[in-house]
Amino acid sequence: MNLFWRELKASRKSLIIWIIGIVAMVGAGMGKFASLSGSGEAMVELMADLPKPLQAVLGLNGLDISTVMGYYGMFYLYLVIMGAVHASMLGANALAKEERDKTAEFLLAKPISRMTILLTKLSSVVVQMVIFNAVMTVSSIAFAAPYADGGASAVTSDILRLMLGTLLIQLLFASVGMAIAAAGRNPKRAGAWSAGVMLLTFFLSIAIDIREGIEALRFLTPFQYFAAPDVLNEGLSAAFIVLSIGVTLAAIAVTIAAYRRRDMQV
Amino acid sequence: MPVIELNGLTKTYGGARGITDLSFTVEEGEIFGFIGPNGAGKSTTIRTMLGLIYPTGGSAKIFGKDCLQHGTEIKKEIGYLPSEVFYYDNMKVKDLLQYSASFYKKDSRKRMRELAERMELDLNKRIDDLSLGNKKKVGIVQGLLHEPRLIILDEPTSGLDPLMQQRFFELLEEENRKGATILFSSHILSEVQRLCSRVAIIKEGRLIALEKMSELKGSTYKKFKLAAKSDVDASAFGIPGVMEWKSEGGEVSFLFKGDINEILRRIAGLELENLWVEEPDLEEIFMHYYESREGAGA
Repeated sequence: MNLFWRELKASRKSLIIWIIGIVAMVGAGMGKFASLSGSGEAMVELMADLPKPLQAVLGLNGLDISTVMGYYGMFYLYLVIMGAVHASMLGANALAKEERDKTAEFLLAKPISRMTILLTKLSSVVVQMVIFNAVMTVSSIAFAAPYADGGASAVTSDILRLMLGTLLIQLLFASVGMAIAAAGRNPKRAGAWSAGVMLLTFFLSIAIDIREGIEALRFLTPFQYFAAPDVLNEGLSAAFIVLSIGVTLAAIAVTIAAYRRRDMQV
Repeated sequence: MPVIELNGLTKTYGGARGITDLSFTVEEGEIFGFIGPNGAGKSTTIRTMLGLIYPTGGSAKIFGKDCLQHGTEIKKEIGYLPSEVFYYDNMKVKDLLQYSASFYKKDSRKRMRELAERMELDLNKRIDDLSLGNKKKVGIVQGLLHEPRLIILDEPTSGLDPLMQQRFFELLEEENRKGATILFSSHILSEVQRLCSRVAIIKEGRLIALEKMSELKGSTYKKFKLAAKSDVDASAFGIPGVMEWKSEGGEVSFLFKGDINEILRRIAGLELENLWVEEPDLEEIFMHYYESREGAGA
């Protein structure tokens, strides 16, 4: 438990900054909805007339942004990106920082097995992502509710579904980040590699939105697993839930195998 | 029972550094010197023993148990001071020491205060603000806190002033009297000379000598220095046992290991102005090991 608390304490500051960022972003984003809905049909038409690639980049994709949930669905993409950035950095750094900061020589000389270190760090990462996700969920509901006809109850179930999807994406990117840190040679670059992988899948996701005919590639990028239009219209896809959990578990298995045999670089 | 047992321990990296076929044992209650120039593989050996890196061949046992299989159990009884002390940011000395102690099932608060007092370490300072020497002290207290049976020190004295070094050595001797075995790695030989009962000398990852300190610096080696009235003919001293021959400005010096009468007969044939016969310090013996092996290896 000592390691667990140390981990949480070490990331406390960064997590607080992220939380402030989330609340500010959700607040400001939903605040814009007021002016958008005030402008009526004009804005909606303007958005609809935008070229498809630009719509894809903005996260529109057939959402009716004149409704609260449609607008939130567009905006949701940015929350997913934030969650993905946070998760991939957190996962990679949780393992890599001990080597990067040369504290591995302290920790690994203690009577604690690598497996315990790994599982403790994993739980601390999961806890932080759950907190991150909870803050997104609560602030989303709080800021969206005033614009919904039925208040909070009208948006809660949709937001909960979207946020469950986000949590699965967070877990996936964090575990991939950990696997990169455990298997990669250079601990200083683990965070960069992890973020790089995340960005790559994000660009692939945009490419899939822009180009017709490559939908088959959707399973390669987590950003497509729980896209807002799909979730809002059809709910979370069972296939993608299974896939995301499967990738997460596979990444954790790689992490365990690699970390147990790893030569610490100090 | 040997506390440390290395058996053909080998670690090869992609590049040149690493260790090759390293075998030696350290007995219970010994203060064992582990000597070699920087980059010889001392830290690699220690890190392999502690399971930070994995050997590519051979095995290491501590307390009779294999370091790979029983690492966690073994480490309960090990105190380790790494060569470079880096600790978690934003932690006070006290926090770090408590964190360290929390890994062992012992109450070490009293001992923490005692050790800190003896090493003149301020427990309430932030580690980031400490000088190199004071960081080293944190490492020392951290390593001794849980009263380990085996203390592993990797270049422990860098950054310590002579007074602190003295206290640190006294602490080590005390722990040793209480039964702790100590592995002391260093490239500074005079340190080891004082403390250690045996030394292993390692160079380029290979063990090149394993000797009792008393034998290493004992009567077998003598350092001769002569000031002769005429030039000294080096070939007259070309007998086995003469090494480190240096001739400079009418003064000749060399190390000798062997029959003392043999060498004195040859010196008697010279017209001398002065003669010194001394115990060589370890540095000179070490340099000899170093150079002669280099010659033999080439």
